[in-house]
Amino acid sequence: MTNTPSKSKKSRVFLTRTDRITRNILLGFGIISSSFIFIIAFFITLEGIIPFVTDNDGLGTVNLWRFLTGGIWLNGRTFVSTAYGAGYLIIQTLYLAFLSLLLSFPIGVMSALFIAEIAPKRLANFMRSVVELMASIPSIVYGLVGAGFFLPIIYNFGQLFGISSAAGAGTLGVVLVLGLMSLPTIIAISEVSIRSVDPSLKQASLALGATPTQTRFKIILLAAKNGIFSSAILAIGRSLGEATAVALVAGNARSGPNFGLFDITSTMTSMMLSGLKETTGIDFNIRFSVGLLLMVVILITNFILNYIKRRIGNLDEV
Amino acid sequence: MKSKNMSSYILDVLTYLSTIITVFALGLILFFLIREGSALIRPSLLTSDYFEQKYISSLPDEYELYTGTLPELTEDQFAIDNYGLIVEESRDKAGATVVRVVYLSDNSPLRNLLNENPAFQNEPLSLSEGMVINRVAYENRGSSLPSRGAAAMAEEMNNTDNIIRQFDFGVEGGGIRGSIIATVYLILMTLIIALPVGVLTALYFNEFAPSNKITNSMRSFIEVLTGVPSIIYGLMGVAVFVPLTTSLFQINSSNLIAGALTLAVILLPVIIRTTEESLRTVPNSHRFASLALGANKTQTTFKVVLPQAFSGILTATFLGIGRVIGESAALIFVLGTAIKDQVRILEPATSLAVHIFTVMSNEPANVELAAAIGVIILTIVLI
Repeated sequence: MTNTPSKSKKSRVFLTRTDRITRNILLGFGIISSSFIFIIAFFITLEGIIPFVTDNDGLGTVNLWRFLTGGIWLNGRTFVSTAYGAGYLIIQTLYLAFLSLLLSFPIGVMSALFIAEIAPKRLANFMRSVVELMASIPSIVYGLVGAGFFLPIIYNFGQLFGISSAAGAGTLGVVLVLGLMSLPTIIAISEVSIRSVDPSLKQASLALGATPTQTRFKIILLAAKNGIFSSAILAIGRSLGEATAVALVAGNARSGPNFGLFDITSTMTSMMLSGLKETTGIDFNIRFSVGLLLMVVILITNFILNYIKRRIGNLDEV
Repeated sequence: MKSKNMSSYILDVLTYLSTIITVFALGLILFFLIREGSALIRPSLLTSDYFEQKYISSLPDEYELYTGTLPELTEDQFAIDNYGLIVEESRDKAGATVVRVVYLSDNSPLRNLLNENPAFQNEPLSLSEGMVINRVAYENRGSSLPSRGAAAMAEEMNNTDNIIRQFDFGVEGGGIRGSIIATVYLILMTLIIALPVGVLTALYFNEFAPSNKITNSMRSFIEVLTGVPSIIYGLMGVAVFVPLTTSLFQINSSNLIAGALTLAVILLPVIIRTTEESLRTVPNSHRFASLALGANKTQTTFKVVLPQAFSGILTATFLGIGRVIGESAALIFVLGTAIKDQVRILEPATSLAVHIFTVMSNEPANVELAAAIGVIILTIVLI
């Protein structure tokens, strides 16, 4: 899109002295804007590796292997220990993100199918504004609804089966909140890709005697799978990085991994939000280490998912 | 064949069901917020302080009773003519009756009270509108208490035989005035920082940048920013902007400017993308016409192209405002979660979203207040 033919024409315009100054000033702003990703990466790495390379004011270095694989956030007395473990956080974060996708993906894709293929125009427009509205709700409000509405229900539901939960906080609450939150992302992007499916495919399928339902599920969804998969990747990315909403409903488990639906849980982000009071020392820096870990996990997850997406391929290219 | 029909039928039902679930989910969110929050949504929530305050005061030895007139009363309001005061009865969060001041004349003797608190011996104190009256004690008889209702209190205070010995009043607390002010500050400062940088960057990319590998990688570096979770921005704010601003302004605490800088970085990719999209719609013929008339490229860019991109910049501004209002994780890191009533730019404070987080993290969680703030946030975002 950037290399339109007009672009090359424009750059041939003669630049005066003033223009060159303007260009250089604007270039400066461009460089500032594009350098932030490096500033972020650099400073978080800088602060994040401190616990592993210094002796942390006499406490000793944090064991990197234990940090990456540990099942207990902090062994020993808080503030005087370096026995941090975040391995269970990685597992729980990924577990929660994929579990929430399991909830939101089918609902989201089918809603998108309804909006794009079945709904009459007016209903479709109404549904689009519903989705837009859901997308514009800030995540903290989802967390609030989770904590104020879902948790009591989960607690009572657990009691019904004799399962005691920590006031309802835990895996199920997080999954519901994250699932609800990623719903608009999935619907909006899936809907666009479903609508952009070549209508001749649909007509061909119908002409061959397939029912509208068969066409929808076997032809249209298959043809739009690239966009649908992208929506899932975006939803996972959002779930992995969500902090405040999760922190309100997770229960903040300090050891794990816990997989049970009624068990309390925690994610990398919720652990970063807990115990914010410190401003220096290892307890402060370890948050940067978790942040660094989070960025690496998101990068790797995105890479793997995009690889799978490429392997599955696009029907249009076949 | 029959099973085929059956599975089609099930799939159809599932499709409809999913759509209903989606609509139901949104309805549930809105219903929950309004049900929980509606009791608290009233003007005094927006204008009052978060922290409860109580004052014990007395009237000076010699004071003049109010002699002027009072404005018209509406229903449930009671006039106290002697003191130029109109009160109404309402309920606090716990459901107890409170007497709230709705009007206080400028010449009222209750504007010049003396603080009875030993720590502030006889310092001047003033009742003001929105405050609640906790107790009125008299020399010669029992006190007027709000639990007996505003009507009884008005009647007893209007009786000139009753000489007021002690006048207890206070701020009810639970308001969000401080957070609203902090949010407004954050929005303004963030836009002041982010808009120029974002718009000028967009101008560079769309008008001046050569189409080569460097430009493309610069674009992709900015695009990557959209995928970074906001908590990571918060970490960057703590590591970069807080030290930067504290050394720049010679202060030793985190501050709203650091928060605004962090938010500005979050907004940058949105502003750049939206502005660039609207710059692209400016037809090239306008550029060529301007150049052909003898204007140089700078004049063309700033006087011909940029004004036409105004709608895009406006869109970016609205998107930015929405993002700032909804942002919580990054701000919690940079500014902390302590609610402030007196907001200063060089001190930390909470935005509305962080206010929700704080009251929800407290024990016990204040769902009603959080839901009320949620309704306010949604109203702003949707408008």
